[in-house]
Amino acid sequence: MIKSTHKSFAANLLFALNIFIIFLLLFGSRIVIPIWLQLVGRMHPLILHFPIVVLIMAMMLEFFRFKERFRTEKLYHDFTDYLWLTGAIFAAVTAIMGLFLAKEPGYEGDTLLWHKWMGASVVFVSTIIYWCRTAGWYNITLARAGAAFVVLSLVVAGHFGADLTHGDNFVLAPVWHNEKELVPVDKAYVYKDVIQPIFESKCISCHNPDKTKGGLMLIDEKSILKGGKDGKLIVPGQPNISLLLQRIHLDAGDKKHMPPAGKPQLTPDEMKLLYLWVKENADFKNKVIALPEKDSLRQIASTYLKPAEETEEKFDFAAADEKTVKKLNNNYRVVYPIAKESPALGVNIYNKSSYQPKVLEELSPIKKQVISLDLDKMPVKDAELKTIAQFENLHTLNLDFTDVTGATLKDLAGMKSLKMISLAGTPLKADAIKQISSLKSLSKITLWDTGLTDAQIQDLQAHNKNIEFIKSFKDDGKPIKLNVPQIKNTTLVFASSLPLEIVHPIKGVELRYTTDGKDPDSVNSPVYKTGASVTKNTTVKVKAYKKGWLSSDVIQFNVFKSTYTPDSVSFLMPPNPKYSAEGAKSLVDKELGGPGFGSGKWIAAQSNIGVYMQFNKPANVRTVTINCLRNLGSQIFLPIGIEVWGGPDKEHLKLLSNVVPPPAKKGEPDASIGLDCKLNTNKPVSCLKIITKNIQSLPSWDPVKKGPEWAFMDEIFLN
Amino acid sequence: MAMEKEILEHRLNINRRKFLSKLSLGIGSIALGSLLIPDLFSGGESDLDVIAGLPHFAPKAKRVIYLFQDGAPSQLESFDYKPKLREMMGQELPPSVRGGQILTGMTANQKSFPLAGSFYDFKQYGKSGLWVSDLFPHIGNIADDICMINTIYTEAINHDPALTFFQTGAQQGNRPSMGSWVSYGLGSENKNLPAFTVLLSKGKGNGQGVYSKLWSNGFLDSIHQGVQFSSSENPVLYLNDQPGISRQERRKMLDKLAELNEMSYKEFNDPEITAKVQQYEMAYRMQSAVPEIMDVSKESDDIVKMYGPDCLVPGTYAANCLLARKLSESGVRFVQLYHQGWDQHSNLPMEMAGQAKDVDQASAALVTDLKQRGLLDETLVIWGGEFGRTNYSQGKLEKANYGRDHHPRCFSIWMAGGGIKPGIVYGQSDEFGYNIVKDPVHVHDFHATILNQLGLDHTKLTFKSQGRRYRLTDVAGNVVKGIIS
Repeated sequence: MIKSTHKSFAANLLFALNIFIIFLLLFGSRIVIPIWLQLVGRMHPLILHFPIVVLIMAMMLEFFRFKERFRTEKLYHDFTDYLWLTGAIFAAVTAIMGLFLAKEPGYEGDTLLWHKWMGASVVFVSTIIYWCRTAGWYNITLARAGAAFVVLSLVVAGHFGADLTHGDNFVLAPVWHNEKELVPVDKAYVYKDVIQPIFESKCISCHNPDKTKGGLMLIDEKSILKGGKDGKLIVPGQPNISLLLQRIHLDAGDKKHMPPAGKPQLTPDEMKLLYLWVKENADFKNKVIALPEKDSLRQIASTYLKPAEETEEKFDFAAADEKTVKKLNNNYRVVYPIAKESPALGVNIYNKSSYQPKVLEELSPIKKQVISLDLDKMPVKDAELKTIAQFENLHTLNLDFTDVTGATLKDLAGMKSLKMISLAGTPLKADAIKQISSLKSLSKITLWDTGLTDAQIQDLQAHNKNIEFIKSFKDDGKPIKLNVPQIKNTTLVFASSLPLEIVHPIKGVELRYTTDGKDPDSVNSPVYKTGASVTKNTTVKVKAYKKGWLSSDVIQFNVFKSTYTPDSVSFLMPPNPKYSAEGAKSLVDKELGGPGFGSGKWIAAQSNIGVYMQFNKPANVRTVTINCLRNLGSQIFLPIGIEVWGGPDKEHLKLLSNVVPPPAKKGEPDASIGLDCKLNTNKPVSCLKIITKNIQSLPSWDPVKKGPEWAFMDEIFLN
Repeated sequence: MAMEKEILEHRLNINRRKFLSKLSLGIGSIALGSLLIPDLFSGGESDLDVIAGLPHFAPKAKRVIYLFQDGAPSQLESFDYKPKLREMMGQELPPSVRGGQILTGMTANQKSFPLAGSFYDFKQYGKSGLWVSDLFPHIGNIADDICMINTIYTEAINHDPALTFFQTGAQQGNRPSMGSWVSYGLGSENKNLPAFTVLLSKGKGNGQGVYSKLWSNGFLDSIHQGVQFSSSENPVLYLNDQPGISRQERRKMLDKLAELNEMSYKEFNDPEITAKVQQYEMAYRMQSAVPEIMDVSKESDDIVKMYGPDCLVPGTYAANCLLARKLSESGVRFVQLYHQGWDQHSNLPMEMAGQAKDVDQASAALVTDLKQRGLLDETLVIWGGEFGRTNYSQGKLEKANYGRDHHPRCFSIWMAGGGIKPGIVYGQSDEFGYNIVKDPVHVHDFHATILNQLGLDHTKLTFKSQGRRYRLTDVAGNVVKGIIS
């Protein structure tokens, strides 16, 4: 029979094929099949019949191999052996072809997975058995189990394979109920894809040209509008008097109830759909998405339809040369691909000062590819629209705040792909838009801040229903309150006079101010002008006014005169180290501490503070003003007493002032307050000693109730 | 006997020679198969598959403006209308609703969890009938332009990890910020401005800090770092030339510096050197681009009225919104705002009124302004905080004074423009505003969706660092299809 060398060659081949299959299975995802191998792959459905037949024969022989009658039959054994080998090799070759075929597009999913692995297991199991079937331990049980397994695998693999080739349920399909394919929402028509299918599934079996019960047919627009022998079926817009709705809403036991008892009934959703359809004028032509987004009919219908398909736009032009694109890119002209593997390009132009018409002209090598052009705020002139019109595939054009006047907008009238054009901030006229509004592709025009009035835009909108015209933001006409003025002075402490610097961010605002503590008004209070100044300790109040706006809130701030500055200053009783600012000199540095006590500019203690000041030349100090902080919630109280001592030298100081500020009251607001101490003398002084006393015994209403109260000061003014 | 001979043959077949010859056959088969793999020896999936600076597919949005409400505004006084809480005012939160939620240390020891209804009334706005509280009338007026998501949820319960999670997709804070990922994925639109900028403002409410780690580039190139614009005289720190240095001198200096850097790059091959040179160059160009953007003096009165007069006061939220529009309009990919002061553990009704007044008008104005410029289609605006707030009162419950603790399970965020469906409410919370009933949106899903709108596949936007590839969405995230138009 067959030479043993041939047989061993075949056995080796089988082994090699098995390894090859394992390889293909493991690395299948990274394999790319060349075209000539696809031919081989496509022969899979042809070859697969051989292993099925050969292997089933071999399995039968294997099944009975250990029977007493056959045990000694050499021919039986040889034949089985060759059949095994041939079958396994055929199976392996078929599997490899199948794996090639599976790489072609269109083959995926669970069915393929099952088919692939069942097929592979046929190859593997039959190979393994072929290898082991001559071993000593191989017995009748194994032989029969193996044979049965291989046959079963063959059947299952074959079944899935048939599903793949002929489709699901190929055999049973003729007797199986056939589901209608769903239409995507964005392509569906209200009547054709939503309403008619209801008729078809529930009504048409009795209302068709062959069987026209009640003289009614429900097959198309004409027959539905015609109605039956009981009259018109529907009154568009009036579901309550429409026969169709009356009949389907009759009691189920009623003889006239439709569909008749015993037939499949309408679902509540279907009834609602029919109701809404008639209510919305029983339209036969429109698409589902033509209805408003929130429309109930659209919403219910959507649940019956497939979600809209993701449609990525395809472009039929070739990609531009990469080098050209790179060359056209610079710091102020960005040319970018819309996406990976898309030939479409976008162009943005920046920097007004470097813009010239040639910035656009130079783009002519890529005029086919540019679909988006952004010229926002560039000084683009009317003449350049001709250049822009060359970008034949342009979708989006941004001309916001350019110098385009609209006179030559007709140059763009040939741009068949233009979807959106932004013209905000350009001095357009209404007839300018008419030059392009006939472009079928256009869906949006931005017209905010142009020369067009609202009425003109409304008129355009009425004549061009497919285009969305974007107009200006409209406020409700109510005046808006101005925000508060701002003080720009870097210091509010001055020696002789302080020019006030007050500004307001909004143009054309009138600032009125007072220095007498009263709130400013729009009639009597002086108008602030640059250079207005104050010459004494004052509370300045400012308010902003502008026609058409509500006046602002009042802001107030204190300015402090500080005529004399001591030549040295030191602490006699030091403050808390945490609140000692830059030392005693902070008290005369003309810098205020600000609203927050943690600013690092405040000097404070929970005990008395003593300050000593000395002048090289005696000074005519008559008032000492100590600026203190009050913040009751944080246990910061005004001092309860201030003593000012003065004299020609440290040894001869006299008590010149003893001020007792009014006691704190519960709920007093946070503030910084200048406490004046008038000196009871008419002589110049060379030395001053100032002692502030804090509260040692807490008021009963103090919420914190811990330790003595704090006293804070940031500056001492001498006048 | 035939059988015995077979067995003998079988044994003879198992030997070294056979083994080796079979081995070579096996290897041969693999070699044959390997011919079918084109890039077998080119080192596996190369990182070049991820081309930085190019969308994976056509984008809906080109830019993002993220109005981050730092401190976590209450969803129950803003956009998630829960009349049931008013009905049950003062009653105990049913334990079944709470369902074992871990609480913060601030309310964990609270003996009672009295439900607190919103102090503010709600009204319906727009064609979509969006429920908005009286604190946000302007946002109500743009109801038909926004998509309200009432079912976003997060994993963190405290400010810093939650904020970091929203910004970087991880709670620990060593990853690149979302803006950095976008800069890496899409590159800069305008080469004269950074792709990712940050603007800060502060309300009067109880606040939480923001730190520069939130706009860090993480392991990405440092050119993707967020650049903070401040409200001071120098909006970008260290951008101005020193006094006495002219533009020409500056140019000469930069050229010389670039030469030196080029030399050290050749020597060390450190990509940070090239990044540095690029940053110098961009700074030079920014010196002329930034003053133009910061100049608000040419904004018309209508714009000022729309954003509110505070938009001309530098450092306010309104001013930052106006600035955000100007930056975005000039091609900045990602503008990140933070408005601090939303952490209302107590005194909520009053503090929230102040906060809402700060942001309501300007947030709505930004959307409208983009729309009237035709830019809303390509700009994605996002408004929201790092988590929500509890439906029960923290501390004592009074009608006009209560507080709310942190609540990560369910809160509200809105988006507008950039290919997001306008005029819809997505997701539904239970009647207590505590758990999600329908359509949950995890932070990872939120990130995946934003990237998707920008034309980026969140599973493909990766960067290899320390031996593994990282993504903004880590190993999770699904694009929320229901909010995409």
